[in-house]
Amino acid sequence: MADVKLSGVHKYYGNVHAVRGVDLSIADGEFAVLVGPSGCGKSTLLRTIAGLEDPDDGTITIGGAVVNDLRPRERNIAMVFQNYALYPYLTVNENIAFGLRARKTPEIEIRKRVGEAAEMLGIGNLLQRYPRQLSGGQRQRVAIGRAIVRKADLFLFDEPLSNLDAQLRDEMRSEIKRLHHEITTTMIYVTHDQVEAMTLADRIVLLRDGKIEQQGAPLELFEQPRTGFVAGFLGSPSINLIPATLKTSGTAAEAVFKSGGSLTLPPAKAALLSGAEERQVLVGIRPQHFSRAGGGGPLREGVVSYSATADLIQPTGTRTFTTIKIGGVDAVAELQAHDVTNHGERIELAIDLNRVVLIDPASGLVIA
Amino acid sequence: MRIGRLPAKKARILAVRYLGAGIVILLFLFPVYWLFMISFKTPDEIYHVPPLWIPEQIQFSNYYVLFKDGDVLAILNSLIVAGVSSGIAIVLGTLCAYSLARYGTGGENLAMWIISQRMIPPIAVVFPIFLIYVHFGLVDGYFGLILLYTAFNLPYVIWMMRGYIVDVPLELEESALVDGLNRWEVIWKVVFPMVRPGLMATSVFTFVFAWNDFLFALVLTRTEVITFPVMLTHYFGGQSNFWAKIAAMSVLGTLPIFVAVSVMQRYLVRGISLGAVKG
Amino acid sequence: MTVSVSLNGAEQRRPSRFGRMLEDRLPYLIVAPAILILLLVGLFPLIYSLIVSFQRITMTENDTSFVGLLNYAELFRDTRLWASLGHTAIITAIALPLELLVGFLMAQLFIDGMPGRQIFVALLVLPTVISPIVAGATWRLMFDVRFGPIGQILSFFAGEPVRILWTVNPAYVYPAIIICEVWQWAPFMFLLLLAALSNVDQSQLEAAEIDGASYLRVLRAIVLPAIAPVIAVACLIRGLDLVRIFDIIWALTEGGPGSMTETVSLYTYVQGFSQFETSYTAAISFLVIALLTLITTLVLKRMELTR
Ligand SMILES: Nc1ncnc2c1ncn2[C@@H]1O[C@H](COP(=O)(O)OP(=O)(O)OP(=O)(O)O)[C@@H](O)[C@H]1O
Ligand SMILES: [Mg+2]
Repeated sequence: MADVKLSGVHKYYGNVHAVRGVDLSIADGEFAVLVGPSGCGKSTLLRTIAGLEDPDDGTITIGGAVVNDLRPRERNIAMVFQNYALYPYLTVNENIAFGLRARKTPEIEIRKRVGEAAEMLGIGNLLQRYPRQLSGGQRQRVAIGRAIVRKADLFLFDEPLSNLDAQLRDEMRSEIKRLHHEITTTMIYVTHDQVEAMTLADRIVLLRDGKIEQQGAPLELFEQPRTGFVAGFLGSPSINLIPATLKTSGTAAEAVFKSGGSLTLPPAKAALLSGAEERQVLVGIRPQHFSRAGGGGPLREGVVSYSATADLIQPTGTRTFTTIKIGGVDAVAELQAHDVTNHGERIELAIDLNRVVLIDPASGLVIA
Repeated sequence: MRIGRLPAKKARILAVRYLGAGIVILLFLFPVYWLFMISFKTPDEIYHVPPLWIPEQIQFSNYYVLFKDGDVLAILNSLIVAGVSSGIAIVLGTLCAYSLARYGTGGENLAMWIISQRMIPPIAVVFPIFLIYVHFGLVDGYFGLILLYTAFNLPYVIWMMRGYIVDVPLELEESALVDGLNRWEVIWKVVFPMVRPGLMATSVFTFVFAWNDFLFALVLTRTEVITFPVMLTHYFGGQSNFWAKIAAMSVLGTLPIFVAVSVMQRYLVRGISLGAVKG
Repeated sequence: MTVSVSLNGAEQRRPSRFGRMLEDRLPYLIVAPAILILLLVGLFPLIYSLIVSFQRITMTENDTSFVGLLNYAELFRDTRLWASLGHTAIITAIALPLELLVGFLMAQLFIDGMPGRQIFVALLVLPTVISPIVAGATWRLMFDVRFGPIGQILSFFAGEPVRILWTVNPAYVYPAIIICEVWQWAPFMFLLLLAALSNVDQSQLEAAEIDGASYLRVLRAIVLPAIAPVIAVACLIRGLDLVRIFDIIWALTEGGPGSMTETVSLYTYVQGFSQFETSYTAAISFLVIALLTLITTLVLKRMELTR
């Protein structure tokens, strides 16, 4: 059990500045997910924590002790790799016991812990097999088993599920979550899949170009993104970003599109805006905030009606993603399954603007 | 699918190819057959005109003579020299290859220099080596030959093993480092088992190279550690029964190679093409 | 829990300072022995030889004064040396293409699957792995004018006794050497080309077959370009071996008759170990090295160009 603190961590690969000053503190028992686009430095940061890479600057603290000068094996961590990293020449049993043997754990203890781990992961019947005789999901379980028998202070995962097919990935994801509830060890988990990040994390750390863009609880990042990048990265389908001119006067605010038309912002949002009377913004509306306008009754506060043509519809069964035009650009609306059935159909929509995100296109920062 | 069901044309082509294969095999194996057969002939049969293609009976007196005269010591010498030198070359070469593959020690230049060592023609160095060996009293001893064969096999081992080691997923080693091994243990407990097949194949080839060497052995041996190819040439133009000895000795000197290479058949192509063709 | 924590404690495996140093220096420590041996046995003699080549040491004289390029100038007047280079060139120029051709034909014969192919290939490899001295000795027995089967077979077809002294008669020594050489190394080419041919993209061949392209067209347009790199490597390896050919000739003709089949390696050997022309031998060695380096770089250049 241990907390993890990074301060001012930098890492260069030759000319590539892969990690650019990361400050991060993860509490004991927390499940932190490092997420971000490919090449943003997630793996590098994780490997630096593991001691597989030496940071060029900054300090790393695990359980209160600075570990910069410690070897990976001296940090008492366990790591699960993307390609499982199972030893093909050892049985499952020996693979799981590998770390314990390396640490000269007594044989009785090894047998007990391997047994426990195998049971916890439901691979008790596979112990005598070799990795090549296992399916992808089973291999991943073995890899996780090898980590948990170690009873390490800190678990590191580098995209452990990315080699699995979609269904297996869902299954393993819940299993990892359950595992964390059971053993409550601090975990740092790298993924580029935002669904994994949202579902697993106590805290999401969103990286971009080697820096932390924003960190916090999953819903906090989702609902109060600090930048357009965060808003765009989390959520599926992605948030719609529509260029517009924001016109404020007094307590009223309105986003006017170049191609004509406008959206009136709710007073609560308008109150957040100050200063400039007229400025360029990106209006961010999540697909989930669209709905089919029903009945013609009065709309809730902050909800506006909008009529559009369904250019493209993609039913998923429960939901139907519908592409429409707002302000001259394509936007995706997530509607109920039967809300729209035909391409080219004219539909009346309600847009909930209470949670609209306004972004300054120049700085990328969220202004309201 | 049964052969009998093949379309007539395909069957005919296959028959022609088998015929061709048979002829090729015959051409290439006949000399080997001839060698073996002579080794079992009596002197009368060997010096029979016209030559006999099949001996009356299989008899081993030609081999018996080699054992009685102690000529088989040459085989023993070859075994010792080739065996020990391959062993050393394999160990040192694999370690070196690991460093080149994983840490890029010395960069591309070192790797190129090492492989260029293999291009150096033996004849160009055998003479200075001879002079140096004379100076240090290394001629006609095991140590001198073993050192030499080790050196001449090292570039090959390093080159081949580097190829095999690069193919080992780095994750395996990193996982072991996290799990509690130090780097030396990682080489021994992770890398070594992973490259074991390649290692075996490479050992076989280093053994074969050392075993087959003639020039160095010719120059650097006298009486004590004569190796088998040198012993063989001693029979040339020799006394009465030299054919029998040549044949029997050749067979003895070929058997170990034959066994080793048959076992390693799978790696043959990669081994003899210096890894240029992944077989 | 407390038990396991103490078992896992990081302190458990913290090595001594010396252990740490060993681990940190590992990349260099494990390179060192191999490099040391290579320097000692590979490079040191070369340097020694280079120095000697500028001196005038012979069997009788131990004159270590430097004579500049005298020995190298001598190379140009040495007709026997140039003759030996000529012999080497002849053998290489004939044997190499022949090996390639025979190897290629063999590979064509075996490329399509046929039951038992594995065994055939295993058998065919035998000549390549046996010692060249054994190969030479074998062919000596084969070629023998009275007791060898070749004369017998030729006589059978000619209908009259054919008596050819293969390893002595000037007209036949080169064919004899080349037959032996090709017998031993065509299987090497075969093995490499077979591997290369089986890697040729099958779908391309099928597409060509559907288009009705002729065999020769397919060969030129698809097969040869695909296996060209392997051919280049195979020729480089074999070419370098042929230029330094020694064993087979030693076993077969010992350079004779006279010095008719004396290759540059044999000549160097003779200069060094019969004439004891120490310095001059060193100069010859460097000529050979220069030659091989030249060939290698030229071939590698060409390979890079075609890539
Ligand atoms: N060994 C290395 N040598 C040089 N550059 C590297 C090395 N490893 C990573 N990089 C670079 O560092 C940056 C960060 O890489 P990193 O592997 O941490 O990305 P990542 O966020 O894990 O991406 P992914 O999601 O694709 O795994 C990238 O630009 C990458 O090209
Ligand atoms: Mg990564």
